[in-house]
This record gives sequence, C-alpha cells and structure tokens, in this order.
Amino acid sequence: MNRQVLIDSPYEVKAGMIFQTRKMTEFEKYFQIVLPGSEDLGHEPGQFVMISIPGVGEVPISVSSSPTQKGFFELVVRSAGMVTAALHRLEAGDTVGIRGPYGKGFPYRAMQGSDLLFIGGGCGNIPLRSLIHYALDCRSRYGKIHILVGCKSPEMMLFVDELSTWSERPDINLDQTVDQGGPGWKGKVGLITKLIPPLAIEPEKTFAVVVGPPIMYKFVIQELLKKNIPSGQIILSMERHMKCGVGKCGHCQIGPHYCCQDGPVFTYEEIRYNHEAI
Amino acid sequence: MPDISEYVFLDKNKLDFFVSKLNTRQRVVAPVRKGVKSYAFAEVPSAKDISWKYIPTILPPKKYFMPQYETIQKFDKSKRTWETVVSSEPIVILGVHTCDLAGIEFLNAMMSSAPCDAHYRNRKANITLIGIECLDYCDGSASCAVMKNELPHGGYDLFMTEMKQGFISHVGSDRGRNIASDSRIFTPAKPEHIRELEELRARKKDIFKPEINVSHEELKNLFSQSFESNMWREEMEKRCVSCGNCTNVCPTCYCFDLRDELDLSLTTGERQRVWDSCQNETFAKVASGENFRKKKGLRQRHRYMRKFYYPVEKHGLYGCTGCGRCTRTCMAKISLKETINKLAEEQQNSKEPVLNQ
Amino acid sequence: MTKPRVAFFDFACCEGCQLQVANMGETLLDVLQAIDVVEFREVMSEKSDDYDVAIVEGSITTPHAVERIKEIRRKASVLIAYGSCATIGGVNGMKNNFNLDDIRGSVYGEQARYFETIPTRAIHQVVLVDYFVNGCPVYIPEFVKVLKSALSGIPYRVPDHAVCVECKLNENECMYDKGITCLGPVTKAGCNSWCVNNGNICYGCRGMVTNPAVDGQKDILEKHKIPLAWVENKMNMYNKACEPDREARLNVEKR
Repeated sequence: MNRQVLIDSPYEVKAGMIFQTRKMTEFEKYFQIVLPGSEDLGHEPGQFVMISIPGVGEVPISVSSSPTQKGFFELVVRSAGMVTAALHRLEAGDTVGIRGPYGKGFPYRAMQGSDLLFIGGGCGNIPLRSLIHYALDCRSRYGKIHILVGCKSPEMMLFVDELSTWSERPDINLDQTVDQGGPGWKGKVGLITKLIPPLAIEPEKTFAVVVGPPIMYKFVIQELLKKNIPSGQIILSMERHMKCGVGKCGHCQIGPHYCCQDGPVFTYEEIRYNHEAI
Repeated sequence: MPDISEYVFLDKNKLDFFVSKLNTRQRVVAPVRKGVKSYAFAEVPSAKDISWKYIPTILPPKKYFMPQYETIQKFDKSKRTWETVVSSEPIVILGVHTCDLAGIEFLNAMMSSAPCDAHYRNRKANITLIGIECLDYCDGSASCAVMKNELPHGGYDLFMTEMKQGFISHVGSDRGRNIASDSRIFTPAKPEHIRELEELRARKKDIFKPEINVSHEELKNLFSQSFESNMWREEMEKRCVSCGNCTNVCPTCYCFDLRDELDLSLTTGERQRVWDSCQNETFAKVASGENFRKKKGLRQRHRYMRKFYYPVEKHGLYGCTGCGRCTRTCMAKISLKETINKLAEEQQNSKEPVLNQ
Repeated sequence: MTKPRVAFFDFACCEGCQLQVANMGETLLDVLQAIDVVEFREVMSEKSDDYDVAIVEGSITTPHAVERIKEIRRKASVLIAYGSCATIGGVNGMKNNFNLDDIRGSVYGEQARYFETIPTRAIHQVVLVDYFVNGCPVYIPEFVKVLKSALSGIPYRVPDHAVCVECKLNENECMYDKGITCLGPVTKAGCNSWCVNNGNICYGCRGMVTNPAVDGQKDILEKHKIPLAWVENKMNMYNKACEPDREARLNVEKR
C-alpha cells in the first residue's frame, strides 16, 4: 500500500490561531480567529467554516463577522455537542483546524437598493450579525433597515452591546423580545412573530432575512407573507448537520439540495415545495 | 456492425495464464463464494478461485474506490499540523457485472463533481476494471433491464463475454488495449466471433424484459409525485427496521461520516472516512437535538428519492443500477420492485376518475 | 505530566473482561505508557485508595456491593463501566427472572440466610457512570477508544444502530440467509461485529438499540417462522436487568 500526501483534497485543513475569546452567555462563546499570515477568510455573509479539533472532530460554524472586517474573522459558538464543548475549553493562543468558507451566503448583491428586514431568533442572530455588519459598513447601498431580535430569556440575548448601539441609530429600527422575561428585563415579552404585524414596510422593495431555530420559520414566514413580501425576497438560512461541507457526505440533504453547497441560505421561493425543508 | 478492431479473443484454456499474468503486476480481485449463498470480491491467486457465475456480491466493488474505513488525514496536536493522505495500490477488479460498472460510473460522476474528491480520484486511477457479461438474470431481485444495465455502456478497461470457445473481449481504454496486446494470451477477434456475440445479444433481448410496470423514462415522474404516498409514512414506517443494510450494499450509495481517532499518545492521530447510512436514526440529527428525518419511513423515502428522483433532476442519472442488492439483503424483505409497482398502482388509482353514485 | 492513576475493580462477573485487558497484546504497552495502573486484582497484588479513573467490571447484586461501588464513585473523578455485567447487568440479570428467596435458597441452601441479596443491577442503576464499554467480553479496540476518550476528557457515544451496520461493512454473509437466528438487528453496534466475523451469532451482549422497531422486527420473525418467545428468551440472557431502564424510557416518551 502506497501512502501519498494529497495537496488538492477538499478535506485539507488550515491551522487557525485563536486570538481572543469571550464568554457571551452561559452557552455561547466568542472566538476571534487569525489565519496563517493574517490571510483573509474570503467569505460572504451567511457562509460557514468547518472547525476541527484534532481527536474530537469537525463541526460547521457560521461566520459571525462581516467580510469588511479584515485580518481576522469571528465565530460565536453554542456548546451543544462534543466538538463545540471541546471548542469552549480553548483559549487565546490555541489552534483549531479551518476549512472553508463553504456554502451559498446571503444574496447581499441582489439586496442592494432594497430595504432590509432582519429577523433573528436565538443562535440565528450569529450568522445574521455578519450580514448586518456588512450592510452597516456599506450603509449607502441599502435602504431602510429593520432588525427584530428574539431569544428565550434575557440572559441568552447575544451581542447586547451592539444591539444597544444599533437601537440608538436613527437609521435603524430595532425591536427585541424574549419568550420569557426575567429580573431587569424591561423590553417586550412574547414570540418574535408578534413584532412583525406592526412594522411599516414597503413589501415590494423589502428583503426579509430570517435565521432562527427550525420551529420559528413556519410562523415567521406566515407573518411575512401576510405582509405581502414576495417569496423570492424572503431569505432563510437552514440548519443541517454538515459533515463534509463539499456536497458529498449526504448528512445535510434537504430533499434534493445539499444544504452545505446549495445553501445554507435559500429563498423561501426555492424551498417552499421541498418536502423536507420546513 | 461493431468495429472488429476493438475486440480481442481469449481462448478458454488460456484463462489461467491470463489471471496469473495479471497477478504478476498487481493484486487481482474477483468474485469468490462466501458462505452458503453469497459472494464477495476478494483476492484471487488463480482463475480457479473465481466464481464466474455469481449473483451480485454482498458489497459492490465500490469498496475498492472508497473503502469502508479510510484514513484521509493525519494530525499532530503538538506540532499543530494536518496532513491529508490517501493510501492506494494498483489493483485489477476482474469479473464485474454491467450493473456494477454502471454503479462505478455513477460514483465517478458524484465524486468528481466540484470539488473533486481527490481521495476517490487517486484510488480510481490505480484500478483496472474488467467486466463480464451476464447471459441470464442473477435472480428475481434484479431489475437490470428496466435500469438499462443488462448490456455494457462503457466504464471498463476490458469487457469479456463468454462464448462457446472462449471470451470475446471489448477494449474500452488504453489500459485495456495494453492488456489485450499480449499476443500470448489474446488473439485478434474473428468475424465469426462478432457474429456469435451479436446472436447472443439478440437472445438476451428475449431474456431481459422490464421487470416492473413502470418504464425507465416514467420512473422519475412516478417518484416526483410520490412524496406524500402512504407507502412511506405507513408501510415503510411499519416494516423497515433501520438496519442500514440496503444502503451499505448499494453500489451507488456514498454517504459517509468523518471520525477522529487519537493514538494513545493523545497527541497524534488520524481522521477517518467511514461509510454511513441515511437509514441510521441519528444520520440527520443536529447537535441541538433536532432530528430532521426522525421517522424510519421518511428515511426510506429519502433513499428511494436519492435513487430515482434527485440525481435524475440534478445529473440526469438514475442512482439505481438494478443490481437487486437492497432487496436481497433487506431484513424486512422490502422489495424494490414491489415498492415501485405499488407506487405505480397507487398513482394509477388516484388518477382514475371517481364515479359518482 | 503525571500519568492518570487508574484502578480496575470487579463485582459480580467472571473477570473475563479483566483477562481481555491483561491479554490485549502489544497495545498494552502503549496503554501503560499513558496510564499508571494502581490496582488490578488479576495482574498485581498492590492496592490503592488513590485513583483518578475507576474501571469497573461486574454487576451489583448485594447490599455490600452497593456500598462499595458508592465508595469507588466517591473517590474516582471518572468511572468507566466495562463489560456486559457492568453496563447492562449481563448474564447476572437472569437472576431477576426468579423470586429472590428461591434463588438464594437454590444457591446457598441452608446457609441462605447469611447471604443478603438484591436484584441484579447494572452499575449506572446504582451510581453515575461516565463511560460505557459494552460487550461480553469487551471488544479491546473499543475499550482502548473509550480509554482515550476518558483520558482526553471527551465523551464516548456508544453507536445506537444495529450490529448489522458493522456486520455488512465486514461483508459477512447474513446469519438469517444461513437459516440461523441472530440478535444483530436489535443489538447496539460498536463491536465491529466481532462474533459474526468469527462465525458465531450475535447474542445481544451489548444491549438493545434505543429504538428497536418492534413492528418490523416481529414481521421479520414471522417471515422466518421464529417464535417471539424464543428470541425474548435469547435476549434475556444478557438484557434482563435492563428492563427497568427500557420501561422508564417508554414512560418518559409516553409523557
């Protein structure tokens, strides 16, 4: 048996150095990662990377920073499985393996000139943040910006500082809600779907970008359709179990689509008749 | 009329010499008997070890292109390095049925679609394929005729058809030409050989007939309209036991898992690619606990759609070769042919106008 | 770096798993590089109360054993249950088919009253278990894999699919094709179909998969004309002590 080193394998891993970490909530941790030679990741908002911890395994994590952010990229990781738990134990100076970026990101070019309605539930706010930052960094290319943020409880709210900065900007309409209130929470309590009906939007020139847990999509989409937003302008990012990231291993399939290549971002139009999507 | 220059002839009494000659250059694998009524591709030192008349092997020859367990990466935690590797060696797969040749062609298309799977590609480059023609059905599980795989459609280096005196062999590649150029083994084919081959193929037309009540062309439409059939949520849900046999033996299934394995030093180790099955309960489960294909019946639906609908839409290829392995191996005796016939019947019934009163 | 201190203990069992470990061959040298064995009755006479990892064989069958395993759990930061007796009750579970006093009488005769007994329990039914290595005996490659997971602080998940999956990858001819009943279709994988590779059937020593597709399995038995009671009996050889676990799980699902 002849063993040969491959240089063009799609499973090739680069060493990424963890430059900074920060605990965000009980379950989420922030990582700033630098590639060799501070090379740019070259991602689009909405894409993901495969993160390796040698001996533990590999997981798909969506990039949370905007491509306008140079020199490093950011991940926010919820500790849910074996690899993410191991990732949480790493600190600045540690190394992780990086593959990617993979997948189809948000259609940020097609959205130019339109109003943007961001709807993020829980972990969904992580990939959404990449696009929000991008849109704010290229503010003149986009129209009105609405941001709706929801999560289970006040302690689980992500990016609290950024949210409060954005809420003060006159060019952003931001609204937040939690499923269950708690001490010190003065904001709204209830499902995120309730924030949609009162919005003043022009449906034909609005792109709604929705990212959240699977259960959220069905109800949010109903509300958006009631608002007459065209199904091709409802943008969703789907969560599936990507293992290879390159459209081979089969784990992430949603009907005919490989979520890792054809997605994770889909328009509602693309998947509304897919029997396995929503 | 086939081009006679593409054919060579192998006399039956030179078969032993042929196999031992192949063996001097590389490992030769061919179907051998395994157990009471099964066969498997395994190393054959000589021609007499080969079962020329065999029903499809337990595992298809894909195991040489993409082994069940395969090291794809070596890592060293202390050095913070990863090295992507492939291990392969020259190998001849002898005696491959046309259904399995079609299976390999399908895998070639999937693994080379961008980005190309370099591990598969490197192994494939080391493999010589020598096919053998089926003159009759393997058994009642096969459905090669409706999948149009009872005859060869390329994808081989050499393709042998057994006739009275010997094997007429079609040269399918430069590598095949190289093997056929050994004049101690092969002689140029004669016009009477070609005539005999044509007669034989004509006889095959009477033997191999579509095995199901749906045509090749209609299969895709049948499945595109069968998503909501009771077949999945009721019959399959009740019968399937999720043992994963159907996908593990399928010549066109290529789903896999990637697993890390540390050495006892706890610093070095490797990443392995292991065959996985969409029939396993946890296949589509994500870390948050959500399982996107929790029901056994819907996992079966997914398997069927990946054979008869999705790849046809995307690549213009059916993912079923008609080899019949899934039917033969099913613990619950779920038959592919019966499933298709039932779906067709169901659809026929739903189309018939409902007579009032 | 100091090596973790590892102690091997046994309860009601045949000590065959200890033998497997002692007998693992060359890999043992690598194992001993990675750990410091401080107690292992079958291979050394030293004992120790100071250990990080406890590797426990056997099931809990007496009140005394309950106290002893609680003490071990208290001292160990990681507890690995290995072998069917420890992970699912194993062969000892057959005791739970009988009335306790009857069985005590038949084993100890007139002395029975001196021997207190309780229904057979797997280790996790008494104390918290961090890692499971199923099997009668344990499959050494899996044992080593679990040990590595424990030493590097990552969980090990026992595959929750049928032995058939690994058996097919090993290209074994199916026992049912030979007309022989095998428990592979309902038993948890992870053993690399060790028994079937060597011509034996699967006896279900690794415990039943969480979701054994009851309807489909009954269908299969009917088709092969195998009485359900016969298979249940076969399954009870190893799995009897696990019944409370299954019942508890079903109750949770119902709710």
